[in-house]
Amino acid sequence: MKLNLPEDREFTGPSLLWKRVMAFLIDMLAVNFFVLIPFKPFFSELFPSDYSFSQMYAYLNSNPHFISRITIVSVFMSFMIMLYFISFEAKFRQSIGKKLMNLHVRSQSNELKLWQHFIRNILFLPIFPFILLWVLDPLFMFFSKSKQTLTEILSKTEVVQKYNF
Amino acid sequence: MAKKQEDIREFTWGRAVFLLITLVAVGFILSIIMSLFIGSDVESLSGNVAVIPVKGVILGDDGDYLFDEVVSSEEAIELIEKAAENPNIKAIILEINSPGGSPVASEEIANAIKKTNKTTVAWIREVGASGAYWVASSSDYIVASRMSITGSIGVIGSYLEFEGLVNRYNLTYRRLVSGKYKDIGDPFKELTQEEQEILQKNLDSIRDFFVEEVAKNRNMKKYEVEKAANGLFYLGEEAKKLGLIDEIGGKDEAIKFIEEKEAITAELVDYEPEKSLLDLFSDIMSKQSFNAGMGFGKALLNPNLYNKVVNQYII
Repeated sequence: MKLNLPEDREFTGPSLLWKRVMAFLIDMLAVNFFVLIPFKPFFSELFPSDYSFSQMYAYLNSNPHFISRITIVSVFMSFMIMLYFISFEAKFRQSIGKKLMNLHVRSQSNELKLWQHFIRNILFLPIFPFILLWVLDPLFMFFSKSKQTLTEILSKTEVVQKYNF
Repeated sequence: MAKKQEDIREFTWGRAVFLLITLVAVGFILSIIMSLFIGSDVESLSGNVAVIPVKGVILGDDGDYLFDEVVSSEEAIELIEKAAENPNIKAIILEINSPGGSPVASEEIANAIKKTNKTTVAWIREVGASGAYWVASSSDYIVASRMSITGSIGVIGSYLEFEGLVNRYNLTYRRLVSGKYKDIGDPFKELTQEEQEILQKNLDSIRDFFVEEVAKNRNMKKYEVEKAANGLFYLGEEAKKLGLIDEIGGKDEAIKFIEEKEAITAELVDYEPEKSLLDLFSDIMSKQSFNAGMGFGKALLNPNLYNKVVNQYII
């Protein structure tokens, strides 16, 4: 007997918050273990590993010229983090974390353009005023109707997932 | 909606791994570029014993000596201060290979060494004479090879006099001065007896000051230093007998002294002056020129030829 049941239907909608957080953490692990490997010696040499916070504070105070070096290293590392997200999302519309969480990035208009990728990831630049985005960007996700971050709104992009019925 | 679905491309793990490898390669290239900006500085932040080179003629700045190895007191002091400020650094080794140079620049470096609160060791290699010895004497401990040339405590203020040449070619030196001694030491006129005495007096004063400083630095009596302060250079063994150095040896002995005094395992780190592209170019040119004219170079390896600064005292 053939039942006339409705077929599975698929629709794409805003991603769940916990999935986004998990995807981001997985991406950060990937970045930390692979992409930033070439820069680790610089940081380990810049910071004595056995220093407490107060010792580190005194250390940086007595060596103000270290700060400019830390800034240079940070800028290069940030560039690599941006490159990771831009290259993965431009090629696959997914980063490793998003793949594992089954999320995708898409443009709200037509095809994703380079400037959209750049704006999406501009928060990684360790320069004022972009560092403010570290706080503002995720906050927008909680309060915006579309559950988008600030950089997603500015870049007219969104992170979506598939839902099955 | 259908159009938006087309935007999502296929993610395969093979492609992802390839992209990750590409990113790591890009990272390595970028880190090499970055190290060109900050490489030498970052190196100088690890380790607990700073090795600071004092190689070449000691001068106040490294201005116009493109193809000569010189020690700029400004740069040397900057490195010493940088090492002194770094809490990781417990001791400083001065790697000396210098025939001396400007008394003022030598004194500046010596004072910078005395100001540090770290253990300092002078490791004299081939030559640590005259002004370079002054620098060495300001450290806590001096190590030199038995074949090292050291000492040469004295002052030289020689220059070429062209008066005979001027006369031979029927040239006239037109003397226009306001102030009797304004052109003292001018190479185009003969030095008078009175002028010579004045210059000699100045040289003697600098020498006295040199001797006093060495005596103070080495914790010796002035008369003890006077015995060695005849301008002669001494090889390691003799220098040790005269009290000018503490130990016959090299790098290992310098490290051993530091490890015993500071109770640490020494990890050396080179503190080098930051080099511009021009410096790197001049280094390469200098080495190539040296190799090309090795024989000629050997003939020129005479300390007096370092006295490039005419009419300046060299110690």
